[in-house]
Amino acid sequence: MTSANKQIRAARYGMTIDVDRCNGCGACMVACSVENNVPPAHEGATDRKGLTWIRVYKVDNGEEYPNRRTAFVPVMCQHCGNETPCVHVCPQQAVDVDPSTGVVGEMPQRCLGCRYCMAACPYHARYFNWWDPAWPAGMEKTLNPGVTPRMRGVVEKCNLCHGRWHAAKERAAAEGKPDTEPVDYLPACAEACPTGAIHFGDLNDSASAAAKEAAEPESFRLLEKLNTQPKIYYRSKKEWVREIAAAPRPGTGKENTRG
Amino acid sequence: MNTTRREVLMFAGGSAVGVLFTPAPWRLITDSALWSENWPGIPAPGHGEIRTRYTNCSLCTAGCAVRARCVGDQPVQLSGVSGHPLTHGALCPFGLAGHHLPYLPSRVKQGPAKEAADAVANGIAKCGAGECVATLDLQPARTASWTYRRAMAALKNGRYVAPSGDSSVAVDLSQARTVLSFGVPVLDGWGTPGNVNTARGGFRLIQIEAVESRTATMADQWLRIRPGSEDALAQALAGTAPIATAADATGLATSEIVALIAQLEHDGPTLVLGSSRLASSGRTVIARREAPVPAEWQKAAPVTALASLPDRSVRVLLIDESAQGEYLPWHTIEKKLVSDNPVIVAFAWSREGYARHANFVLPVGVYPEVAGDIPSAIDSVAATFRIAAPLVSPPADMVKPEQFVAAAAGLATGDTLRERADAIHKAARGSLFTYADAKSQALKDVTADAFWKALNAGACWIDAPDDKAPVAQLAAAGTESRPAEQADLPLAVVVSRELTPGSPILSKLYQESNLRLAPNRVALNPACGLEDGAQAVFETLLGKCHVGVTLDAGVPAGVVQVSGSPAVLDLCAAGVRAKVVRV
Repeated sequence: MTSANKQIRAARYGMTIDVDRCNGCGACMVACSVENNVPPAHEGATDRKGLTWIRVYKVDNGEEYPNRRTAFVPVMCQHCGNETPCVHVCPQQAVDVDPSTGVVGEMPQRCLGCRYCMAACPYHARYFNWWDPAWPAGMEKTLNPGVTPRMRGVVEKCNLCHGRWHAAKERAAAEGKPDTEPVDYLPACAEACPTGAIHFGDLNDSASAAAKEAAEPESFRLLEKLNTQPKIYYRSKKEWVREIAAAPRPGTGKENTRG
Repeated sequence: MNTTRREVLMFAGGSAVGVLFTPAPWRLITDSALWSENWPGIPAPGHGEIRTRYTNCSLCTAGCAVRARCVGDQPVQLSGVSGHPLTHGALCPFGLAGHHLPYLPSRVKQGPAKEAADAVANGIAKCGAGECVATLDLQPARTASWTYRRAMAALKNGRYVAPSGDSSVAVDLSQARTVLSFGVPVLDGWGTPGNVNTARGGFRLIQIEAVESRTATMADQWLRIRPGSEDALAQALAGTAPIATAADATGLATSEIVALIAQLEHDGPTLVLGSSRLASSGRTVIARREAPVPAEWQKAAPVTALASLPDRSVRVLLIDESAQGEYLPWHTIEKKLVSDNPVIVAFAWSREGYARHANFVLPVGVYPEVAGDIPSAIDSVAATFRIAAPLVSPPADMVKPEQFVAAAAGLATGDTLRERADAIHKAARGSLFTYADAKSQALKDVTADAFWKALNAGACWIDAPDDKAPVAQLAAAGTESRPAEQADLPLAVVVSRELTPGSPILSKLYQESNLRLAPNRVALNPACGLEDGAQAVFETLLGKCHVGVTLDAGVPAGVVQVSGSPAVLDLCAAGVRAKVVRV
C-alpha cells in the first residue's frame, strides 16, 4: 500500500499556557534542557547568547507600586501554522512544517548558520549555537539517548520534544495501533511544570484539554495581528497581560541583538 | 583554431559563474554540514536498556518523590511521581537536574580523613573546662542527626547544634483560609512544591515583603514594606503597638494596616509565617508526632541553638554540610570558637561553604549517590520516612559524616537506617505508599523485610493522622531588625534565600536568562546609577566581595537584594547595611 492510499488523520499539536498560574520557577527550562541535551552555558554566554529552547520572561505592567503587577510568560517556538516565517527564509530547507503533526521542525544537519530564521522569527524563539556543546567531565553520561546533541554554528529551537513523539510512535506501533493516527505524548516542559500551567495536546481533537482551553475566550496568542497562527495559546484573566501579548509595551522591549 | 589567452580566461570565468547556478556548491555545503554533525567534539549519548527507578530527592526537606529514567544504571532524566499523596508529582528545577550533581567540576573528591580524625581526637583530649565539642547539623531530624546526638551524648562535653526549626511542628495548609507571610517564600521553595500548589486554591495569600519576590508576584496581596520593619507591623497586627508607629516604620498607610487587621479577623483561620509575634489561628499549626526511633536512641544530646553556646567555648567543631539547610553566616559561628587553634572539620561536597573556613575538608557523597533519610517537610501534617536511595555509586574515598563523628566519640553504630525502619515497622501505624505501582497499604500488612525493601526501591511511609495533635506555634527564624541609617552604607540589605544552584544546567536560569538571581549577583533598582551586568564590590561592615549587578524594578530604591551564596551571606546579618560600588 502506498502512502497515498492511507487515510492519515493529521494532528495539530499545540499547548495552552496559563500565565496566571506560572510562578516563574524555571522547571520547564531545566526539564527542556535535560530532555533535549541542550548544553550548560559556556563561560562567555549571556542572556543574549544562551541556548534556552523555552525561556520564561518576567513582564510587568509598567506601573509603580502599589499598582505594579508582574507576570511570567514562558516563550518557546510558537509553531506558526500560517506563512511560517522561518520556513520561508531558510536557504537550506533546514526548517519545515510536518503536515502530520503541525510541528515546525529544525534539521541541524542542513543548517548553514546564516541565522536568517532568527531574524525572521517574530517571537525571538530561535537560538544560535555559538560554542561547541560541552558538558563537565562525566556528565555526558547523563545525556538523553533519544536526542542527538547539535554542533556549533547551527540554529536550534523547540520541536515539541520530537524524541518523545518518536518514542510514542514506536510504542503505538508495538501495540499494533495504526500509524495513521496521532499519538498521545507529553513534552518535557508540560510534564515538569509543578503548577500545572502547561497543557499539551492535539488541537484538532476537540476532546483534548488543550483544544478546549484554546477555544476559551481568555485564551490568546502572541502577536496575533501578524496572522502567523501559532499553535501555542496563552491564557490570562488579566487585561494588561493580553495587551502585552498583542504588542510589546513601547520603550521596554530590549532590541533583539542576540545572535 | 588558435585558442587565445582571453578565451581561456572567459571560459574559466564563465564556468565559475555557471557552477553557482547548479546544485553542486549547495550540495557541497550540505555535505560539509552533515560531516560536521558527527565530528568527534560532540559527545555521544550512551545507549543501553531503558529502565525506570524510583527514589526521593534529598536536596531539601520537601523530599519529593522521584522517578528516574535510566540507561542501564545511569539516570538520564528525573521527574515527579504522579499520585503521590504529598508531593503530587511535582519537582522543582533543582530536583529536575539532581542527577547532574555527582559530576560538578567544583566537587571535593579527596580529603585528609586520617589527619582529621587524629586532630579531632587531640582536640577532644585537650578540651578544657567550659569548652565543648560541637556538631553543627544543617539539616536536623534525619537518622544521621540522631547519630550525631547520640555521639555528642557519649562525650562529656558534646553539643549538638542545629540552625533552627522544630521538626515536631507542622503546618496544615488545608486548614488555612488566609496565609499571612512575612517574607517567607511560600510559593518558591518553602514547603513541598506539589503540596503548596495543590492547597493554593484554598487560601488567600498576603505577602509582606520589601522586594517583589516570586511569591510576592503570585500573592493575592503584596504589601511592600521597608526592610526590617516586619516586626513593627506584626506588633501592630497583634495589638501590642500603635498602628501609627507601624505605619511610620513600614511605610504603609494607616488605612492599609487597619484594613489588614479587619481582613485577618474575618478571613480566618489564619496561618502566620515568618513572625512569632502573631499567633496562627485554628488548627493551622500543630505539634506533629515524630517518626518512631529505637528506644536505645533516646539517650541523645538535646538540640542546642548556636546562639546559646557561650562565646569562645567550642574547641572542636564538626560541620555536616552534606545535606543543604539554613546557612549560618560564618561570623556567628566564629565567635563561638576558642581563640587558640580550634579544630574545624567540614564534611562538604563543595569548597564554597564552610569549607573555606575549615582546617580539614572531607569529601562526602551527594544526592543521588548516598542513602539517607529526609526529615518530614514543614507542610506535612503527618510524620514521614523516606529514603533517598542511591541511583549511582559514589567515588572512592568519600567519608560518611555520621560514621566519622560516631567513631570520634567512640559510639558503636550499625545500619542506623535499617534500625529506624524496623522501629517504625514495630510501631505498626500509618501507611506505605510505593511509587512503582502508586499504591498505598497499611503498614501493619507489610513485613519488616518488605518494608525495608520497598523503602529502598522508592516508597514513603506516612504516619497515621493524629486528630488530637495539639495546636502549636511556629518559631520565627529570627527577628528582623530595621537597618540603622548610615551615610556611607546607603542600602538596606534583603537576602533572597534560595538553594545553591548545583547542576551546571541551571545556568539556563542564572546565566542564560535572568529568571533567578545568580549566587554572585545583587539586584538593585534601575535608578541606582549602575548598568545591568556591571561588575561591582558589595561591601558591609563585615567585609566585601565582588558581585555582578542585576537591575530589577521590583527592588525599591535604597535596597539591595542579595543571593543566598555563602560568600555573600557571610557579609550579612540582621539590620546590616551595604554599599555597591562599580569596579
